[in-house]
Amino acid sequence: MLLSVLVVAISLALFWMAAFTLWWQMHAWRTPETLAATSFDRPDSDVGLSFSLLLPARHEQAVLEHTIERLLESTHSNYEIIVVVGHDDPETAEVAERAARNDPLRVRVITDTHETKNKPKALNTALPHCRGDIVGVFDAEDQVHPELLAHVDHAFTTTGADVVQGGVQLINFHSSWYSLRNCLEYFFWFRSRLHLHAQKGFIPLGGNTVFVRTAVLREADGWDADCLAEDCDLGVRLSSAGKKVVVAYDSGMVTREETPDTLMSLLKQRTRWNQGFLQVYRKRDWRQLPTRRQRMLARYTLMTPFLQAYSGVIIPVNVVIALFLDVPVGAAIVTFLPLVTAMVTFVFEVVGLHDFGKQYGLRVRFTHYLKLIIGGPFYQVLLAGAAVRAVWREQRGRNEWELTSHVGAHLTETREDASR
Amino acid sequence: MTTILPTPEETTPTGAPGGAPPGALTAPDSPTTLVERPAGAATTPGADRPRADVRVRVLPRPVIRFRSSRPDLLLCLGLLTVILAVQGWNITHFPTLSDDEGTYLAQAWAVQQGEGLAHYTYWYDHPPLGWIQIAGLTYLPSVIAPESMTVATMRFAMLAVSAACAVLLYVLARRLFLPRWSAALAMALFGLSPLSVVLQREIFLDNLAVMWMLLAFCLAASPSRHLWHHFAAGLVGAVSVLTKETMLVVLPALLVTMWRHSHRDTRKFAVTGAITACVLIGLSYPLYALLNNELFPGPGHVSLIDGITYQMGREGSGFILDAGSGSHGVLQSWLYYDRVLPLGGVAGALLLLSTLRWSVTARALAGPALAVAILTVVAMRPSGYLPAMYVIQALPFLALVLAGAAASVVHAVLHRRLPARGSSPAPRTAFGRILRDRAVRRTPAPGVAPPGAPDAARSRALTHLPRRALVGVLALAAAVLLTPRWIDGNRDALTLDANAPYRAAAGWLQEEIADPASTRVLVDDALWLDLVHDGFTPGTGAIWFYKADLDPAVTKTMPRGWRDIDYVVSSPTVRRDAVDLPNVKAALQHSTPVAVFGRGEDRIEIRRITGGTTGGAR
Repeated sequence: MLLSVLVVAISLALFWMAAFTLWWQMHAWRTPETLAATSFDRPDSDVGLSFSLLLPARHEQAVLEHTIERLLESTHSNYEIIVVVGHDDPETAEVAERAARNDPLRVRVITDTHETKNKPKALNTALPHCRGDIVGVFDAEDQVHPELLAHVDHAFTTTGADVVQGGVQLINFHSSWYSLRNCLEYFFWFRSRLHLHAQKGFIPLGGNTVFVRTAVLREADGWDADCLAEDCDLGVRLSSAGKKVVVAYDSGMVTREETPDTLMSLLKQRTRWNQGFLQVYRKRDWRQLPTRRQRMLARYTLMTPFLQAYSGVIIPVNVVIALFLDVPVGAAIVTFLPLVTAMVTFVFEVVGLHDFGKQYGLRVRFTHYLKLIIGGPFYQVLLAGAAVRAVWREQRGRNEWELTSHVGAHLTETREDASR
Repeated sequence: MTTILPTPEETTPTGAPGGAPPGALTAPDSPTTLVERPAGAATTPGADRPRADVRVRVLPRPVIRFRSSRPDLLLCLGLLTVILAVQGWNITHFPTLSDDEGTYLAQAWAVQQGEGLAHYTYWYDHPPLGWIQIAGLTYLPSVIAPESMTVATMRFAMLAVSAACAVLLYVLARRLFLPRWSAALAMALFGLSPLSVVLQREIFLDNLAVMWMLLAFCLAASPSRHLWHHFAAGLVGAVSVLTKETMLVVLPALLVTMWRHSHRDTRKFAVTGAITACVLIGLSYPLYALLNNELFPGPGHVSLIDGITYQMGREGSGFILDAGSGSHGVLQSWLYYDRVLPLGGVAGALLLLSTLRWSVTARALAGPALAVAILTVVAMRPSGYLPAMYVIQALPFLALVLAGAAASVVHAVLHRRLPARGSSPAPRTAFGRILRDRAVRRTPAPGVAPPGAPDAARSRALTHLPRRALVGVLALAAAVLLTPRWIDGNRDALTLDANAPYRAAAGWLQEEIADPASTRVLVDDALWLDLVHDGFTPGTGAIWFYKADLDPAVTKTMPRGWRDIDYVVSSPTVRRDAVDLPNVKAALQHSTPVAVFGRGEDRIEIRRITGGTTGGAR
């Protein structure tokens, strides 16, 4: 009897959790009108705002030049690029200086002299030097669409937003089974879920293609140099302070990135994010959110990695209990509820992969769908591993950056190893 | 976001590209604003390619908000009152109590008593969801007045189901873009046809299944085209099938409706979501069997596979058009009550399906028309079993399709351009005119009217008079044809008392039998609950007559066969089925009537067993 009650309680909790996550994940596709509203409006006015684009680069000489060239192709006429390099990284600095010499009006180089380096410190170093109305952040390996700035400008002007988050998309889904799932995660996150967060007034921002009004950013004292998820933290702090965030996703205009090149680096990246989420949760900035619903959403979103890990383990256990132990039929049926939501999620992922292929003109083969389905449980294990690892590291007080390296798989030409 | 006037291509109900061909028969109700977004992204393969300067507009489908539309509410409410009055009046007296009603209600009673899914062994004859719902529906009265749990009384519960069905049908018709009068016609056909009145009064699982299926259709045609509405449509569709498994054949029509009424950009998520929901909920039934270890056949227990095998293997009732076959008899019994709805509905479905290319109405109603087509084809199987209640699941679709076909015809008569009138009928103009007609009546929409409008308006006014007259004549002819037949059919339903023998028999058993607790009676399902309320032991004292031969748990208590029985209540059903039931047959032979109610074929005899021992071994 006790077992039955326990199993039913756990199952119902898991069911609601999965159902909510699914509900939010599918936000953009709720109605055709919602879907249409997720993309950028077409800019119809002249240039209104000026931009300072921050480009922190570390041991990324291989990809940096191409990224700067792409940024300089922008159709917008009023922007500057600030490349932030480390004082201990002459190779990257050389590439940056060369670019600055070629276009001194639009490219500048700032040197970060911190002893231990990380991305938020680099960004904070550059912040006082920004002259534009808007600060934008990109990573050194990003492929940025030339028309993006004009659209972001329009979004700021027409909506009066304080923050605009553009889409980021991992593209190299064919590289491995986990990159397939990783790409799809990004797809659902930027295509759909983030829009819900923007609408609800609580949003963990992404790491790049994020644009903030310079004054707002300075008022918020820039990025938190001690947080492993400084992007998420910034979003949480700004939305808690009531700043308006607008998210726009346009498959033609997303910033393209690549997945981590090994399973281990994916695990490390995920550990860092989870640990960062945990830190943001513990900083309690989200408690200032005005409504209870927003606080619940914040609590839930920041806890998601851990709940996900937990449910990945518990669902199979539950089903085994239902099938092999002696519980009443009614209770046994309830234990299948989380499985039902998991199946629905699975199906939507398959459709999402199809849509992803369509949106980006990529050919998704049957084997990819197969990989997606078979890889599902293993990816759950990976996520669970990262969650456990994050908790463990946080307990031990280890919060240095574990860097993710990039091989440029998302670029058309192959590049040598570079690391972020 | 900008507001732009809709172009004809974008106002088709499906939201699909394509546009309205000449002579599009009806148009959506009110063009509203549309959201504009830049696109071209959808097909841009690489970020390096310059963005194509193409714009895709997403037009919110014209929304008919039933809840906030006063004329719709008033019309629907008025019709509902009439339908409830006609269906409710004399409901306990007509039609004759059926054996099946007794079965389902008794099983619902067993559920209420906490005895599981049936008071005899549940053997997967039908999914149990139907009578679980009946149990819920009759729960409150059964608590307040337990003895009210009899077939005749509980027919009132079916009124609630009928009411829900009728309203849902009206809503569905409006969601499928039918004009108000046509939606009202569908509702009236569905609720007032003598065939409907007779069948919807009875406690049949089919009526409940129809309610769920109509809800599923309404959700599939949701004006907001919400992902979770479509998901819920799949879910509710599965509930409908689990209520009555024959609804399975209507699911493709549900899918078509959803496909037509979803938007291209979100369709793949909506449709796959709905299918997934439907399959997963549907699987709960085999899962239930599996968890009970009753999925596969085995010695000493019932199983789902056995149940399905039995249902699939039921002896066919012959080809429906083959005079003399059982199926033909069933068809005749339907046509006896009403010819208009079944025959007119099938004709309407044919009309709509054959004008899919030209008529917007036909495309909007493709789902219901397909449902009629499928159900017709299934009924035409040469060797299938055709139960009398089969037609119930077709009734709403027949009504809808007939009303839709009428709307199509009227629209064609009123608005279709004649080829003789000069210039070739361009699709834009034809549709533009419809739009303008509506724009004039609703929000003025400058720029929609085609050039040269005043001339066209004058000439139309001239041609409109004969057209309207023609519509009037058609409507009058239909009314003249329909009304007398329906009045005749419904007069029976409102006045006849077909259940007097049953009531008298129940009364006799209650009054005349001194010791019901130790008396054993073979009785048909319709009277069974009456006996239970009188104090007979459910299952072994008051016995469903056929269980005396078919259920080992019952035959075990009758080691001496008919001698262990005290009475047989011989109703038409008992006499008909006794041929194949040795114990029942013997009981009838070794008994003499002590009371006879009614006359001829329909009489009910209460027969006392002679030569047996009263109060046999239990």
